[in-house]
Order: sequence, then structure tokens, then C-alpha cells
Amino acid sequence: MRETGMIAYLQWGTLIICSVVLFLRVPDAIHGRNRTVFWILVLATLCSLLSVSGPYEAIDGALGGWNLAHLILRFLVFAAVLLVGLRLATGLADERGYRLIAGPPGRWALAISAVAVAVTFFLMDTRGSSAGMLDITDNGGQNAVLAPFYAAAGRTYPAFVSVALLPALLATTRSQLPRLVRAAALLTCLGALATACSVPACFAPVTWILAQQTVNYLAVVGYVLGLGLFWASGLAAKESGNARATFRKNKG
Amino acid sequence: MPLPAKAFQLWLHRVAPSASTADICRISGIKRTTLAQQLVRGKVAETTLVSISRALDLSPLTELASFDHYAELGAPPQPPTPAELVSQVATMDLLRAVISRSSPAYGGYGDSDSASMRALSPAPHATSVRNWVDAIDDGELRHRVSAASGVAPQNYSAQLTANRLSPELVVATARAAGVGFTGGLVATGLITEDEAGWVPGAKQSALDALSDGELAALAGERLQALGKSLRRHEHEQAQTEKIWENLG
Repeated sequence: MRETGMIAYLQWGTLIICSVVLFLRVPDAIHGRNRTVFWILVLATLCSLLSVSGPYEAIDGALGGWNLAHLILRFLVFAAVLLVGLRLATGLADERGYRLIAGPPGRWALAISAVAVAVTFFLMDTRGSSAGMLDITDNGGQNAVLAPFYAAAGRTYPAFVSVALLPALLATTRSQLPRLVRAAALLTCLGALATACSVPACFAPVTWILAQQTVNYLAVVGYVLGLGLFWASGLAAKESGNARATFRKNKG
Repeated sequence: MPLPAKAFQLWLHRVAPSASTADICRISGIKRTTLAQQLVRGKVAETTLVSISRALDLSPLTELASFDHYAELGAPPQPPTPAELVSQVATMDLLRAVISRSSPAYGGYGDSDSASMRALSPAPHATSVRNWVDAIDDGELRHRVSAASGVAPQNYSAQLTANRLSPELVVATARAAGVGFTGGLVATGLITEDEAGWVPGAKQSALDALSDGELAALAGERLQALGKSLRRHEHEQAQTEKIWENLG
């Protein structure tokens, strides 16, 4: 089927992008610079690895072949999103966003999403490894009804964090900061938008699966490339000597 | 609006009939690719014409006036007003004038000669465009320019903040303010004070004609604006460092 082929491209493309950014970030992590960002990238790479059929089926097979790997994947996503949210909110000096994510609203959103994911997972008949649990609906029973809710529950918390970050990301994109920093904010902003869209996309009809999957992978790619570019912008500035605001620059 | 490529080529043929494009680029210091690109796009920048005119020992102002939509530059130039001249004195030169006029008891030099011993730096300076517009603004000027030229006020302001103004907008601004065209062309750095036909020492005389009170108030305004822009810079710098510290 053509769509399956396209989805495989998306999966592999995302995995390659994540691995490249992760690989570039390794030297800094060894030097102890911003290890959190490194761990975020490790989680993102792990998540995209678990989205590819081959590795997924191997790992899930080792875990008993009832898609437990997919449930673990959801919790890895939650962990990555929590770290990204806290880091971005701190970096962009977005106090409101930080309070939303780290405070009671964020904790509730995380708890509710986690419980909803677990409950819907155990209500379904999840036998038969299938990456993204795309074929699980064939098992019959309640699966066809529950599958979209399971998917939506897994994307609710990421969407919550993304929406909390959006205002600060947009403000940075439209600011007077260095161009690379603004470009990084724009990429992250696209990732956040895609993440927010991925919740309603869970309920899209089956014929829209390609668009649905594109939104899902766009979210990961946006965040990962954004983080990569934030890092690269810092490097570029360091090399060019990063001029400060002084009288010397202002000859008037 | 930049110059139409066709009219530009006719002009080039008239002023330098035997020179090749390569010769023109060599003597005027314009990159060949830049000129080629401007010709292909059909729009030649005014700065290109000015550079070529200089290289050929022609008056940039007169040559610019030979193009249709700059025809009004051809009339005998209206000299700049004293306020325009003072606006083209760099902030540091204004401050130097304040110090040299102050009484020695307060750390000044107590004369007006020591200021003129050091020549004023030539226009344009770091905020010359905004200072020029401020000097001729009656409060409604930006509004009138925007209505006449169709340029949105925020785009106009953005150009001023970047210390830039397209020659077309310079002419529109001068026309709306009822002043000569040379002040703005000098403030934007398109032509020099000499090329504008300003009397040597005109800036210095306009500066000397300011009363102590006027000079102090003007220097104060400039310092305030400088402080504001430096503070904005520092704030942006702090924001950027915070991003790199957490995400870099």
C-alpha cells in the first residue's frame, strides 16, 4: 500500500533527524554542558526508534508481544515533553508558562493523561505487536472505539505543554533577537502547533491516516530541530565574538 | 523607487559612452554581480548611480535629477535649515560642545574655541536619519508622508530605527515638511555634505548659534535616546544569553 510506504518514510525520516541532532549534541554533553537538553534528545530519539516497525516489533516481542512497548513509549513521551517544557519556559524567561507546566495545572494534566492512557490501554485487547498500534483495531471488541481515545489521551499532555509554551515562542519569533534564535523559536513553534493539532487529529477518519501521521511526526521534528537550532545559534554567536551593546558600537 | 534599468542604461551610455560595464564596476568599486543583478531585476539602486557619478567626477545630485522621478532635485537646492544642520551633528560632538562651553569651575573649558578646534565628524552619524526627521517634524509629518507615499507608519518608523530611509521616502519627507532635499540625502548617507552644496562649516555655525539652554536640552534628548537604545540592546542580550544558557 502506498500509504504504508509514506508512513515508513516519515518514521525513518524522523528517526534520522533525531539521531543526527543527538549525535551533534554528544560532545557538549560529554563536557557537561546542558545535559538536560541531551537527555531530551535521547528520549526523542528513543521515541522515534519505537515508532519504526522493525525495532518496535523486536522490542515489543521481547516484552511479550502485547504492545507494552507502546505504553512505555507514551510515558517516555510524557517525560520528554515535561523536560522540554521546563527547559524552554526557563530559557525564554516565560514565568507564566513555567507556572502552568510545573504548577498544579501541569501536574493535573500529567496525572490525568497518564491515568487515561493506562486505563484505555488495559481496556483494549492489545495482543499482536504493531508499531503505533495501527493494526490493533482489527482485534475487534471495543478496540475500534477505544483506540482513538487511547491515542488522544497520549497526546493530551504534550498538547497542554505546547499550548502553554506557544505565547512565549511566538513572542520570541517576533522579537529583535538574533535571526538564528528567532528561526529556532519558529521551528519549535511549528512543533508545538503540530502537537496541539495532533489531539483532534486522533479522531480523523481512517482515510486521513497519512495527514494524521504527518502531523504527529511534524511535532517531533519541529521540537527536535528547534532545540538543535537553539544550540547551533549559540555556537555561531560564540564563533563570531558575539558583540555586546556598548558605546563603542554606537559611534553617535 | 529605484531607478528603472532602461533609463539607467541610457544615462550610463550618455555619461560614459565608451566604458564597458567591467570598467564602470572597476572605477566605481561596485561588484559586477551586484550591478548585473540590479539590471536583470530592472531596478538600479540610487547608491549605484551615486558611486558611478563620483567615479566619473560628476555631481551625484545633478545626475540623480536627470531621472524623471527625481527631477525636482534639479532645481537650485534649498539650503538646509539650522535645525537640520544641528541634527547632523553627532551626539558625541554635541556633548563635546557642552563640555567646552561649560565654566572651568564645573570641569568645562569655558570657551567655545576648544570645541571648534576639533572638527565635527562628517554626516551621517549613528542616529542621523531619525534626528533629521525629528528636526523637521511639526507633529503631523509622519502622518502626511505615510498618506502621500502609501508607506505604513510602522514601516517608516522601522526604517528610522535602523537609521535608514529610502531616497524616495527622503524626497517625500522633505516635500511634506517643506524643506530642501539635501538634508535628508546627507542624513541617509546617499551624498556627502560637500556634494549637497553645504557651505563648509555650516554645521559648526549652526551649532555655535544654539544658546546654552538649547544645546543642553538637545544633548539631553540625544543622551536619553541613546540610553533607551542601549538599554533595549542590553535587555535583548540578556534574553539571548538566557536562551543559550538553558537550551544551548
